[in-house]
Amino acid sequence: MAGAREVKRRIKSVENTRQITRTMELVATSKLKRATDRVHAARPYADALQEIVGGLYSGEFSEKYPILRKPDHERRAAILLLTANRGLAGAFNANLIKHAKNLLEELRGKGVETELHVAGKKGIVYFRFRGEEMLTERMDIGDYPSIEDAESVVGPIRDSFEDGDIDAVYLVSSEFRSAMSTPPRTFELLPVNPDGEAASSDAYILSPSGDMILDRLLPAYIRNTVYTAMVENAAAEQGARRTAMKSATDNAGDMLEYLTRTYNRARQAQITQEIAEIVGGAARLE
Amino acid sequence: MALDVRVISPDRVVFEGEVSSLVAPAWDGRLGILSGHAPMVTLLGAGELNLDRPGGDSDSFYVAAGVLKVERDAVTVLTEYAGNEPPDELPPDAMVFAEDVIE
Repeated sequence: MAGAREVKRRIKSVENTRQITRTMELVATSKLKRATDRVHAARPYADALQEIVGGLYSGEFSEKYPILRKPDHERRAAILLLTANRGLAGAFNANLIKHAKNLLEELRGKGVETELHVAGKKGIVYFRFRGEEMLTERMDIGDYPSIEDAESVVGPIRDSFEDGDIDAVYLVSSEFRSAMSTPPRTFELLPVNPDGEAASSDAYILSPSGDMILDRLLPAYIRNTVYTAMVENAAAEQGARRTAMKSATDNAGDMLEYLTRTYNRARQAQITQEIAEIVGGAARLE
Repeated sequence: MALDVRVISPDRVVFEGEVSSLVAPAWDGRLGILSGHAPMVTLLGAGELNLDRPGGDSDSFYVAAGVLKVERDAVTVLTEYAGNEPPDELPPDAMVFAEDVIE
């Protein structure tokens, strides 16, 4: 029979753990609220930009604009992976990393050279451990990423695509469907492929001109796509953390119930034994 | 007839509503839009965006960089910056680039 004292000590420790996980759950819930608001706030701009870029996009531009060029085959591709800086979010980071690793292997299997850009400590630590070289290692992006963060991450990658050093850029991040559902996904960032109905540009007055508008809008479009992905990823992280911490809290509760029962039984057994001893002792004396 | 106007910056919808006329800082100068305007897409510079409401009220914001689209009395203004004060620092895309065009 486990000593009542040991069980008591375990109860204390599980109680402490539950306190911590519950606090983390509450913190994640409030951050999730704010992060979700940001996701919703970012959507109108992204949708409208997508529509305008999609409407202006036409095949003839792709030859003129390095940012629109479509290489015949991929020689070298970049992967931009977004993960969280912190753990304790269930399988959130592991899923993203696995997704990126699979993509990396798939590309290498096809004979494509790859380069890796990672934003988020968890991804960086993993690939560092594996001995992968990373061209970008960013750990400074917080819970509420800004447009500037997005530009500073994607700017250099966009430049090297324009220069023709890389032929494709894949973005691996979490899709924020809801707080409970945040699957990782791969998005083909470059070459740009805005799927809007290509409205004939004749229908519009374009000022100064279609190509100059695209020239300004495409970098904004790329930047904004990455910004949206970052914001969604941040919300997905909080959602995943909340879910993970909630189940940890629940599990701790179940465990406490079991331990308390064990403790009471042990205590009762002890009392019963003591009484038996006393009774036995008294019987002897008579 | 009124214009349906949406002014959107990357992180929020700044304005959404009916407007009788609008004056925007286009890349090449101020641009006025009334109902019935031909479909158009134009780049924006930096400056004040004025909106006149049908009731006689008016709103204005500072915007910088982006694009404006008119289509069937619906105006979408996408801007990198929108606020009540001019930005401390212009976004890099807000450069007045008339020189580029003259070349």
